[in-house]
Amino acid sequence: MEKVTVNFTLNGERQSITVNPNLTLLEVIRDIFELTGTKEGCGHGECGACTVLLNGKAVNSCLVLISQVEGKEVTTIEGLSKDGSVDPLQASFIEAGAIQCGYCTPGMIMSAKSLLLENSNPSVEEIKTAISGNLCRCTGYAKIIKAIQLAARNVKAGEAGGEV
Amino acid sequence: MSEFKWVGKAYPRVDGYDKATGMAKYVTDRFFPNMLWGAVLRSRYPHALIKGIDTSRAEASKGVVAVLTHKDVPGLNAFGIINQDQPVLCKDKVRYLGDSIALVLAESKECAYSALDLIEVDYEPLPVVSDMEDALKTNIKIHEKGNIIEHVRITKGDVEKGFREADLIVEETYYTPRQMHTFLETEGGVATIDQDGNITLFVGSQYPNRDIIQIARSLNYPMEKIRVIAHYLGGGFGGKDEITAQILLALGTLKTGRPVKIVWNREESLIAGQKRLPMKITLKTGVTKDGKLLANKARIIADNGPYTCLGSAIMKLAVEHVSGPYYVPHTDLEGFSVYTNNCIGSAFRGFGATQATFAIECQLDLISKKIGIDPLELRLKNALRDYQSANLGHIPSPSVGIADTLETLKNHDLWKNKGYYLKTDKPYLKRGIGLACSHQGCGLGSFFPDYGAATIILLPGGRFALKIGCPDLGQGNGTAFVMIASEVLCCNPEDIDLEIGDTRSTPDSGSTSASRTTYTGGRAIIQAGNKMKANLFAEASRMLGVSPDSLELRPHCVAVKDSDLKVTYAEIAERLSKENRSLECYARFDWPTADLEFKEALGLPHFIYSYISEMALVEVNVLTGEVRVLKAVVSPDAGRIINRQGLEGQAEGGTVMGMGYALMEEIRQVDGHYMNKDLSTYIIPTAKDAPEIETVPVEKLEASGPFGAKGIGEAVCNPITPAIINAIRNALGINITKIPATPEDIYFMAKNKFDLLRS
Repeated sequence: MEKVTVNFTLNGERQSITVNPNLTLLEVIRDIFELTGTKEGCGHGECGACTVLLNGKAVNSCLVLISQVEGKEVTTIEGLSKDGSVDPLQASFIEAGAIQCGYCTPGMIMSAKSLLLENSNPSVEEIKTAISGNLCRCTGYAKIIKAIQLAARNVKAGEAGGEV
Repeated sequence: MSEFKWVGKAYPRVDGYDKATGMAKYVTDRFFPNMLWGAVLRSRYPHALIKGIDTSRAEASKGVVAVLTHKDVPGLNAFGIINQDQPVLCKDKVRYLGDSIALVLAESKECAYSALDLIEVDYEPLPVVSDMEDALKTNIKIHEKGNIIEHVRITKGDVEKGFREADLIVEETYYTPRQMHTFLETEGGVATIDQDGNITLFVGSQYPNRDIIQIARSLNYPMEKIRVIAHYLGGGFGGKDEITAQILLALGTLKTGRPVKIVWNREESLIAGQKRLPMKITLKTGVTKDGKLLANKARIIADNGPYTCLGSAIMKLAVEHVSGPYYVPHTDLEGFSVYTNNCIGSAFRGFGATQATFAIECQLDLISKKIGIDPLELRLKNALRDYQSANLGHIPSPSVGIADTLETLKNHDLWKNKGYYLKTDKPYLKRGIGLACSHQGCGLGSFFPDYGAATIILLPGGRFALKIGCPDLGQGNGTAFVMIASEVLCCNPEDIDLEIGDTRSTPDSGSTSASRTTYTGGRAIIQAGNKMKANLFAEASRMLGVSPDSLELRPHCVAVKDSDLKVTYAEIAERLSKENRSLECYARFDWPTADLEFKEALGLPHFIYSYISEMALVEVNVLTGEVRVLKAVVSPDAGRIINRQGLEGQAEGGTVMGMGYALMEEIRQVDGHYMNKDLSTYIIPTAKDAPEIETVPVEKLEASGPFGAKGIGEAVCNPITPAIINAIRNALGINITKIPATPEDIYFMAKNKFDLLRS
């Protein structure tokens, strides 16, 4: 198999890799960069556990072939917390009890991040739609929805001058 | 004000940060240098003889290091918690499509899976047993001993007398589906071996200590050279209680000397993994005209698939729970657990009580309709009370909160103002409200040793290490353990370093299953904590020169009562260190058992139960048959609440899981073959399906429990299923006896009643 060279940005750092073209973005993230925060739940784009941001939009990384990320920006869950500070979504998921086994959590947070980047004041229906591709078997979703609302409120309060 | 500092509060998970940041390493997240990938060859036929296995082409394939078959299993080529009837690698027969025939070990996952196609197996297909009733009658034997794994019959009173005295007798048969746990992290893990032959597994498991017994037996290997670590886990729900990939992982690393990783893909998990076993439950129930339950006769058949796993125990729990949390003077309860060539049935949250709850709670609504009594009043009238005899004739521990949970629903606005909630503005939308009750035996039941154990160590700086075997599958027992320890030791949860689920470093505390973990672990922690407290008093008494009787715990220190004189935990730790000493306290707690034991049905009955009532508001579109669950109100009685946030999380998650069971989830099999094999065709609820859920707990304290707590992890998924079905009955007046009640089913059942298109 002829290898391909792909240049992209991963969590803010430029990367260049030469790999088999049949690798998915998920495999590259987990097996090459060993960023295991991104999970595999099905490998078929059905569960959302592997969700990452591609140029700010949530995608199932198991459905993205590595060549498709050429020149693009990839953000994984590890990219949301830098230097000890966590994203408002990570903080709200912890506080609201939106985490149980936690295996869906990184993907869920990335879908929510994509939503909040686009819409800082989402309705409950908009939140449900944004995470409808992310399966969770533990929580029944109630506290996840609350956590996303809480993060949106906290971000807004932060922008208004308060502490997040 | 609460008498507790931590217990009963809504406390965020101790592992929340690691999980939210992606730092938590799950068992399938582990990578090791020089690691091999393992892939398992599954059966081509649901039932066949194996005439030969040729692995030579696969062995010659690029990247393949070894191909293992039954010949490579050094010890007992079988496993099973109850009966060792499941082969590690099949030798001469396959009994379902998930059977393991060979293990390929290769340099990459891709090499391993592509080599599977190169293994040649010579099969002689056999007729398939796919129906549980047929399994009882047919002369096709799945195992030599026949198709009945276990048969039990337990009677109380005189059921025929009960029927004679009854004003109404209702007979109905209920069918439940094969439900998949759908934990997001599939079965699997990684195993390593060191130069001294010590094998370490990171693997999805609910009871690492028991895994070691099964691995050692099949590998003919010393138990002390095997270590199993089950942390972190991406869900379990019962599906990781029995062996999944453990023995093959250990075998792979033993044979190659290299780290081995096996992670079942989603399709393998669906085909080979254990499932909630389908049941056919026939009930005959006698009742007086004013709604008093007199007699209940049940015949239960459970389709266990090809191997026992925990299936026969699950059938027995169905027998135990099939008359509901009610006082019924006369019962005659019979159960069969049978082999078929379908998917394996084993533990799944609720463990037989779920199936039983569906049957009896639908039956009660039928009765309520026939005799014209309000369904809530009917249940309240029959609700079991403290010191009454339960359905197997035993007296449960007097923490019977079922009536309290019903009263909670009765006083809820959704029940009191039904008329308001039932209104819709479209003629094709019909709303209904339904309710159901359930109970769940906590622990392993009579006969089986059931214990918990914990170790607490005082650490430098005045912190504590808390070590306990039971893994946290995700439900939050780890956080509950830390809260309980913080309460006893008068410190903050942040001052406790929790270690769980590691056979080398944590004491055997039994399985994380059976609604037993917080109760058992909690009691062991309290006992270990009290020992630690006594030791801290002794040290402080020596350091302060006062009598231990004059001392009390204050935050992070031992202090003299009514005085400022104190010594901190940190100071005690420092002093001990200087004296070359340390403080480590171990305690074991053994379960109390019921006043009755059945030699013919080991494990029955239970002594402590959690109780729960739940109601659901549904809206049915009669043009499409679609059901939306709009709201659920759940009233659990888990005794003392340890973590309010954890309890709500369980209630919400269990409700949505039970909703999937009611309306959408089923692995459909025809002649042992699977009709749906992925998450596009096996549908679980998404955020868009989940209802608004309100949790209104009652706390009927259990005297033997930690601060009065009982288990609740399972009961929470039981009542919602019949509550939804009863709500649909309330909306449309149709009698649903088979779940899942899909839109197709409901559409055709409702079609004749509401022919809106014609009008």
